[in-house]
Amino acid sequence: MKLWLFQSVPRLASRAFNTTVRQMKNKVPDRQKVFLEDNGLPVHIKGGSTDALLYRLTMTITIAGTGFSCYWLLVACMPKSKA
Amino acid sequence: MAHQAHAYHMVDPSPWPLTGAIAALLMTSGLAIWFHFHSTMLMTLGLVLTLLTMYQWWRDIIREGTFQGHHTPPVQKGLRYGMILFITSEVFFFLGFFWAFYHSSLAPTPELGGCWPPTGIIPLDPFEVPLLNTAVLLASGVTVTWAHHSIMEGERKQTIQSLALTILLGFYFTALQAMEYYEAPFTIADGVYGSTFFVATGFHGLHVIIGSTFLAVCLLRQIQYHFTSEHHFGFEAAAWYWHFVDVVWLFLYVSIYWWGS
Repeated sequence: MKLWLFQSVPRLASRAFNTTVRQMKNKVPDRQKVFLEDNGLPVHIKGGSTDALLYRLTMTITIAGTGFSCYWLLVACMPKSKA
Repeated sequence: MAHQAHAYHMVDPSPWPLTGAIAALLMTSGLAIWFHFHSTMLMTLGLVLTLLTMYQWWRDIIREGTFQGHHTPPVQKGLRYGMILFITSEVFFFLGFFWAFYHSSLAPTPELGGCWPPTGIIPLDPFEVPLLNTAVLLASGVTVTWAHHSIMEGERKQTIQSLALTILLGFYFTALQAMEYYEAPFTIADGVYGSTFFVATGFHGLHVIIGSTFLAVCLLRQIQYHFTSEHHFGFEAAAWYWHFVDVVWLFLYVSIYWWGS
């Protein structure tokens, strides 16, 4: 029974992506304009405000994580107090 | 605006190598902290940071290549070398696990009963689901080649269909393998048989998931018109990786599933 179910997966999953594909417009020239603009921004920030937000989130985790890592290292170095 | 007098890519300063390195630190130290102090926070932060780094770094590479035109022929040649060297390193990674398997299975110790499979182990029938899995991956190798030819011939719809089919076959393999793992009469704890079986096939399964993800990203890029009939290295890299995953499975199937039963 289980084997039949798995063997029918390819048959059930063969729908085409036609509707999404047909409506999709080529936005590459627009993106090229954005990223070739002479504004001195590095590529990881150049896409807009979402870029900066994501960068700040990532860097926050990086610094916080480094701090936590040092904290746990100190905890691990401390001898276990005999209760 | 300064213009370069060479065809090479001088990258903008980027924070992702640092965040990636810290992510590796957090994952490894987080693992140790989880083992000794039962706290998963550090490891979780590491995993999240890894995902953020991968997403933004590869997003930036797509921007540099597709939107900024930095991937000139010499640059693309370097990227090709890079992908080939990476896949070669992965080959060596798997070679180790095959070494371990053959070390234990060619000369089974008295503790195992002096035989392979060891006494008490009921191996999986290689001509049931494992054979289906082999057919699925071989078929996916055909569909990914079909996708490549479709890209080169400028056939947009066919490219999307064949690439989607390849990814579906990848998911099908993963689902079948997950079912096999659940139903298997032995576990990873069942001596050296269990260890070699699940570590080798487990890492392979992880690579199938990575390969499927890479192909899925290529599908999204293809839908968004990123690839041209002459320049589509991201797809080629994904296809190379997928063929590598397929070949590893063939070795696994013949060695562990078939000869090893």
